[in-house]
Amino acid sequence: MKSASKLLVLLLIISMFLVACGGGTEEPAAEEPAVEEPAAEEPAAEEPAAEEPAAEEPAAEEPAAEVITIEFWHAMGGELGDVVNELVARFNESHDNIQVNATYQGSYDDTYNALLASFDAGTEPNITQNFDLAAQTMFDTGRLVPAYSFDDFDPNVFVPAVRDYYSDENGMVGMAFNSSTPILYYNADMFAELGIDPPGLDSTFSDILATCDELQAGGVEYCITFGQVGWYFEQILANSGGLYFNNNNGRTARATEAVFNQGQGVEVFTFLSGLIADGYAPNLGKTWTDTDAAFQAGQAAMIFDSTSGALGMQEGADFEVKTTYIPHSDSSDRNGVIIGGAALWLIDSGDDAVNQAAWEVMNFLAQPEQQVTWHTGTGYFPVRNDMDDNPDLQAFWAENPNFRTAIDQLASTNTTMADGSPNYAVLGGKAGPFPAIRQFIVDAYSRVLDDGLSPQEALDEAAEKANQELADYNAFFE
Amino acid sequence: MSQSISTQEISRTHPAKTYNKNWQKVKAAIEGYLYLLPSLIILTIFVFIPIVTSFKLSLTRIAPFGNKTIDVGFGNYTRLFSDPDYLNSLKVSLLFTLSTVPTGLILAVTLAIALSYPLKRLSWFHRLLIFVPIVISSAVTGVLFKWIYHPVVGYLNYLLSLIGIQGPNWLSSKDWALISVAMAVVWRQLGFNVIIALAGIQNIDGTYYEAAKVDGANLWHRVRHITLPLLSPTLFFLFLINVINSLQTFGEINILTEGGPGGATNTMLYSIYYDAFVGTPFRGYASAQAYLLFILILIMSFLQFKGFGKKVHYQ
Repeated sequence: MKSASKLLVLLLIISMFLVACGGGTEEPAAEEPAVEEPAAEEPAAEEPAAEEPAAEEPAAEEPAAEVITIEFWHAMGGELGDVVNELVARFNESHDNIQVNATYQGSYDDTYNALLASFDAGTEPNITQNFDLAAQTMFDTGRLVPAYSFDDFDPNVFVPAVRDYYSDENGMVGMAFNSSTPILYYNADMFAELGIDPPGLDSTFSDILATCDELQAGGVEYCITFGQVGWYFEQILANSGGLYFNNNNGRTARATEAVFNQGQGVEVFTFLSGLIADGYAPNLGKTWTDTDAAFQAGQAAMIFDSTSGALGMQEGADFEVKTTYIPHSDSSDRNGVIIGGAALWLIDSGDDAVNQAAWEVMNFLAQPEQQVTWHTGTGYFPVRNDMDDNPDLQAFWAENPNFRTAIDQLASTNTTMADGSPNYAVLGGKAGPFPAIRQFIVDAYSRVLDDGLSPQEALDEAAEKANQELADYNAFFE
Repeated sequence: MSQSISTQEISRTHPAKTYNKNWQKVKAAIEGYLYLLPSLIILTIFVFIPIVTSFKLSLTRIAPFGNKTIDVGFGNYTRLFSDPDYLNSLKVSLLFTLSTVPTGLILAVTLAIALSYPLKRLSWFHRLLIFVPIVISSAVTGVLFKWIYHPVVGYLNYLLSLIGIQGPNWLSSKDWALISVAMAVVWRQLGFNVIIALAGIQNIDGTYYEAAKVDGANLWHRVRHITLPLLSPTLFFLFLINVINSLQTFGEINILTEGGPGGATNTMLYSIYYDAFVGTPFRGYASAQAYLLFILILIMSFLQFKGFGKKVHYQ
């Protein structure tokens, strides 16, 4: 008798455990089919388990007659996330039949992994944000609904560089959302004090190095600072007209080979690694933030950084921060920059009505009003090309000229060559394993600075690894 | 033994009771398994099933988005051994273990001995200061040390500059990065190690020391010939735990260096994480690495029990 009651208690514990395991989803599946004990002890737990039929659809489906819920996953934390929520709230207020549920998923990598897992589990969102380098991988999921497939999509409202970056052969697939480029910030007070001319909009490497010599002769500790991330190499390579991958940067056919170890690539990497090796820049490693500290503390006179940091850069400095375009190699003309940042991707839900609703959300975010909020709130670009006359933005730019530099740098980018063909250098590389390949460039810095390889040797090594990654990836499509 | 005999005796005389007894036994077994069930379910879902699936994964190459798979047999494994980055991560793991485990254990035992003898009257507050890292997660340790090591505004280099030393670039220099991470890990694990070592020391019977004192042994002799030998089971346990922990260090590496610079802190474990979840994920390759790490830990535990275990002095 005693053991029977023990069993009962045990069953209770187990059913409670199962309830707890059920977590947020509806009712517990109550795996334990009641065994022989009567329900007397635990009516509460058993009751709903009896009738747990095919109601697999989430609660959203019942009142779905009128409201469609759109799941929107993004990677914008902190203040950026607040702006996203503001935009989403604005959408929800103005739409009765569509409600957006925005969820912060962590970093881009986290969001991407969550997306992968959701494909397996069948819980994918309707809209997800993913960063620039993952564009090819997103295409290859085969789960996207391209923007160009919607009737009211007008590619011409977008800045060409933005539009072309996220396009396949048929047109724009992802919707550029947060776009940024690198610019050269400088400590204007320091230049004025020393009577040195700041670098112009069209500077070559030699110009920068000449300025550096003047600065350091004038007692400045470091001429410049930048983190050893892959991005600046990619951007300055593009600005110098160099390609990253073969097949026109992977834009006319799948990239099969990295070509950044040839021609311009070597010149660019020699310049960047040389700045650190020759003591013009401190060796701060792979970082996005330590460099800011060095610049704002007045240790370095200039810094390569993202346009999206323009507000914080001025706020954190007790001197005037000015900006100019990034440099290009001596042997090239200025080409311009690649649009960076991330895009929104519409995941096919299999239901046209839902896809259409998700598209409405994406389209809403691209409207001028939202673009103004987004740009002024975060520093990411407006991605439309009809924003120059917007009075709100003009007022904003008058107060924050550094944002204007970034937009001009992008607008003056040569997206087509003299003969009318696309300038693939500034469209940026496109390859499935690009995120992994970028890391090889990061390692290349260390190979030069720590292990004493020449820039050419370090790039050759990186290219070899990159080719292996490309071969592995492309094998899936043979 | 005696129980089963008595059961048999009963069974010969009272068949009805046998049935009852057997039923009792079955019921007891069921009860036992029911108690186990909650943890079994969790273990099955989060450990056993993944063990099997990750082995299956390790025999394939899967496209980053998961919808294309190529069977490669043991190709991932053979490739690992010709991958210079992976071989480097083996080396890094070894160096990391060598720099954390002995340091951590020596520090812990020294502190524990100090706490039990010369500093016996140390206030609870000071003891607390030694133990407190135990409650700090590895992520927090990482963030904390990131500030300490910061090249521009870090405390460590500031303190060094006060005594006229120009500190190195802790985290972005290939020579120092691994040592920097190791120091953070040793610090975090110190509290745990000291507690265990202290418990071991306090378990040693005081009469040994009294006898030694009578024989005129000084503190060093007492430590060398009484404390350490009798502490060896504890030390062995700590050694094992620390080796496994150091092979599984993740938080500090992820926050302080992300495996860099140039792979200098890319341990076997971090390499698994990196290949599986960062940038362009290649899960099959990462799974193969996970299996190699698993086998390595298995072999080491075995060797440690076999070789080391015999020398341990159980009371």
